[in-house]
Amino acid sequence: MNRRNFIKSASLASTALFLPKFVSGFNLLDEAIATGKKIVIIQLSGGNDGLNTIVPFRNDIYYKKRPSLAQQKSNLIGITDEIGFHESLIAHSDLYNNGELCVINNVGYPNPNRSHFRATDIWHTASDANEYLQSGWIGRYLDASKSKSLDAIEVDDTLSLMLKGEQTDGIATKNPNLFYRSTQAPYFKKVVEHHDEAHLSEHNLGYLYKTMVTASSSAKYIYETSKTFSTKTTYPNTGFSKQLKQVAQFINSGLQTKVYYASLGGFDTHANQTNKQKRLLSVYDEAMAAFIKDLKQEDSFKDTLILTFSEFGRRVQQNAANGTDHGTANQVFLIGSQLKKPGFYNPMADLSNLDENGDLKYEIDFREIYTSVLNNWLDIDAKKVIGKPFSGLNVV
Amino acid sequence: MTLQEIVHIYNRVGFGISYTAASALQNKSRATIVSQVFDASRKVKPLTVDVSELTAQVRNAQRNDRKKLRSLIKDSVKKVHELNIAWIYRLGTTQEVLREKMTLFWANHFVCHDKNILHIQQYNNTLRKHALGNFKDFVVAISKEAAMIKYLNTKQNKKEKPNENFARELMELFTLGRDQYSEKDIKEAARAFTGWNHDFVGNFRLRRFQHDYGEKTFFGETGNFDGDDIIEIILKQKQCAQFICEKVYRYFVNDQLDPSRIREMTEVFYKDYDIENLMRFVLLSDWFYDQKNIGTKIKSPVEFLVGVHNVVPMQFEKERELVYLQKLLGQHLLFPPNVAGWKGGRNWINPNTMMLRLNLPSILLAKGAIALDEKGAFEDDFQRFNTKRNRQRKLKVLPDWEMFYSEQKNITTTQLQQVLLVSPLNKGTATYLDKLADQDLKEYCIQLMSLPEYQLC
Repeated sequence: MNRRNFIKSASLASTALFLPKFVSGFNLLDEAIATGKKIVIIQLSGGNDGLNTIVPFRNDIYYKKRPSLAQQKSNLIGITDEIGFHESLIAHSDLYNNGELCVINNVGYPNPNRSHFRATDIWHTASDANEYLQSGWIGRYLDASKSKSLDAIEVDDTLSLMLKGEQTDGIATKNPNLFYRSTQAPYFKKVVEHHDEAHLSEHNLGYLYKTMVTASSSAKYIYETSKTFSTKTTYPNTGFSKQLKQVAQFINSGLQTKVYYASLGGFDTHANQTNKQKRLLSVYDEAMAAFIKDLKQEDSFKDTLILTFSEFGRRVQQNAANGTDHGTANQVFLIGSQLKKPGFYNPMADLSNLDENGDLKYEIDFREIYTSVLNNWLDIDAKKVIGKPFSGLNVV
Repeated sequence: MTLQEIVHIYNRVGFGISYTAASALQNKSRATIVSQVFDASRKVKPLTVDVSELTAQVRNAQRNDRKKLRSLIKDSVKKVHELNIAWIYRLGTTQEVLREKMTLFWANHFVCHDKNILHIQQYNNTLRKHALGNFKDFVVAISKEAAMIKYLNTKQNKKEKPNENFARELMELFTLGRDQYSEKDIKEAARAFTGWNHDFVGNFRLRRFQHDYGEKTFFGETGNFDGDDIIEIILKQKQCAQFICEKVYRYFVNDQLDPSRIREMTEVFYKDYDIENLMRFVLLSDWFYDQKNIGTKIKSPVEFLVGVHNVVPMQFEKERELVYLQKLLGQHLLFPPNVAGWKGGRNWINPNTMMLRLNLPSILLAKGAIALDEKGAFEDDFQRFNTKRNRQRKLKVLPDWEMFYSEQKNITTTQLQQVLLVSPLNKGTATYLDKLADQDLKEYCIQLMSLPEYQLC
C-alpha cells in the first residue's frame, strides 16, 4: 500500500466512524487524487491587447492601424520570422523554446459581446452570447464529477461565477490561515460540535448546517495540508505573485484540489496603453516564472496545466488617446509539459478580414479548448459540463 | 394573532419586528394587523440622491467631448452607488414597510441596470410607485422606462431591423414564463414595440418613422397592434396571472410551490391584476401562517443586513464598505448579475457566504476583522488593482447599542430569541443556547444572530 492509498483508506475509516451520518458523504479524499492532474486558470482581466502581446511584426496593416502604438521589431523577443513576443514575456519565450507553451490564436465565439461583465460571464459560464447561465463551467465540472467544494479553489476573497455550480460551489480563499481562523471562533466551534442530524435532510436548515460543516472541514483540511509545505522559491513582491505562490503551496503540499483560479486585473487600456501593458505583462510573466520554477522543483509541473485567457482582445485600430477599445478574439495560452502541440496551434489572425466594427473574426471557439481540457485532462465527459457538442482540439 | 404569527408576517412583509412592537400587537386580530400593514404603505416616497451638479454639467457638456463624457459617466456611476446606499438605509428606516419590500421584490422581477443615475433613479421610483398597484399599468410603465429601453435593446428595435430582446424577455421573464409562447409571437410582439425610445432626460418617445404600423398576429388575435395592445393580450392569458402568483408565493410564502394555493391566488389575481388585492388575500389566508411556512425561507443578503440593522442600528463610516459587504454576500443592489436576476433561496449560500454570514454579526457589532481585498472594478487602474492585497481590517461601523437597549427595555434573552429565531431550532444548538441564557443581552443577541437558524425567516 503506498502512502496515498493509505491516507485515503485511513481517512475514509475516520469519516465513517466519527462524523454524523448526514455528513458522511463528505469524503475528504476521493478518486480524482489517483490521477493527480491539476489545472490552474488565469484571467488577464479587463481585456488584454493580444495584438501587442504576440506581435506580427511584418504586417503592414498592423503598423498602419497603430501609428503610435505598434511594437517595433527591435523591442520584441523574436520567435519566428514574422512573430515576436512582447518584451515583458521573457519567461513565456523560454517556455515556448522548451516546448512548454501552446499559443492558440484568435479564440472567441459567435456574436461577441464587448462588455467586460457580459464577456466575462460568457467565458466563465461557457454560454452562447445570447444565453444567460447561472453556473460556471468549473462549477458544473464539480457537479458532473461529484466533486467537493474544495476541489476548486479561487485564490481570492469572493467566488466568481466560473466556480459556481448548480449543486456545488467551489471555495474562495486567498489565505488558508484566515479562512481557517474564521471557522475557529469559540462559539462557532461549539455550534459545529453541538449540531445533530435530526430533521436536517430536506429542510433549508439542514442545507445551512451541511454547508457550515463543509466550510469548516474544508478550511481545516486546506489549512492543515498546505502548511506542511514551504517554498524554496523567491517570488516577486506583487499581489498576483502572492496568489500564484499560494497556488504553488496548495499544489506542492499535495492538496487534492483539482482546479485553481486566479486573476490579474487592470488590462483595460483605453489610454496610454504602452507603459501600462508593459508593466502588467511583466507582473504576469515574472509571477509565472517563479510559479513554474516552484512547481518544477517539486516535480509537480508535469501534472499541472496552466490556461491563461482574457475576456476579449482589443480593437485593431488604436484610438486617439494612445490606447485601444474593447475588441473580440484573443490568444489563449496553455502551459505544461504534456502539450500535444506546443508552439503556435494555428496562424495569427487575418488583419485584412475584420468584422463591421473593425475587430478580429474568431477562428476557434473557446469552448473547444474547455472541451479538450475536460475530456483529456480532467477525465470527464465534456458534454456533461458544456452541454453543447464541441469536438475539442488536439492540445492536451 | 400569536407572537410567532406577528413575527412571521413582519419577517415576510418587512425585515422583522422588535419584541416590544410585536407584543403590543398581540391582542389584535389578523384583519386589523393586515389592514395596518397596508395603511402604513399608502404613501409613495420617491428615493432620490442629489443630482443637481451632474445635471448642470450634462447641460453644459459638448456632445463630442469624449473625455468629458467619460468623466460624466464616472460621476454618474458614483451616484448610482450613492443611490444604492440610500436604498439600503431606506429599507432600514421606512414606515412604508410592505411597499419597500415589494419594491425589492419587483426589482428582481423587472430586472434592469443602468449607469445613468437619472434614468435608473426614475426606474427605481417607478417600481416603488406601482409596487402595490395594477399589474398592467406596471408592465406598461416599465416598458416605457428609459433604463429598460436601453437595457433590453428596445432602442435598437426598428421597423427595418427588429430587435427581439425586449419582446422575448417581456414574455419569458416578466409575464408568462419560458415556453409559454411561440417564436412567431416574439417576432410579432417585437414589431409592435418598434420605435419605442426615450429622450435625454428619460421621457418616453415614440419615433414614428421607426415604428411598424402594419398588421400583426399575436396569440391568435390580428390587428395593427402597438406595445400597449401586446401587453393587454398577454395579460388575457391566465398563465400570466399564474406566473406572477408563483413568483409571489416563492418570495413571500415558501420556496416549494403548493399547486392548490397557487390556483386560489391565480383566481384572485386574474380578476383585475390588482397587486394589493392579491397580497391581502395571501396575508389574510390561514395557510400563510401554517407551521411549514414559518422560518423556512433563506434570507437574501439584503434581508440579512437590514434585519441586523433593525435590531442594532449601524452607521457605516465608509459607505464603500457597505457596498463591499453586499458584493461579498452576493447581492449588490442596482447591480443584478443579469436579466434573470438573483436566483435566491439556496443559491445565496455556499461555504464562503455561509462563513461570512455566521461571522458578520461579530464583525459588525463586536469589532471583528474581515479580509477586505476587493476585486477591482474593470475601470480601475493598475494601482487600485494591485495594491492592498492580503489585508485584514476592521470595518468602520458604529453600532448603536444605546438604541438597542432602549428598544429592548426589560426584555429577557428568551423573549429576544422569540423574535430573532423563527425556524425550529437544531436540538444541539438549543441545548447550547440554554447554557448561555443568563448572558448579557447584548452578547446573547450577537450569539443568536451568528447561528444558522438566524439565516432563515
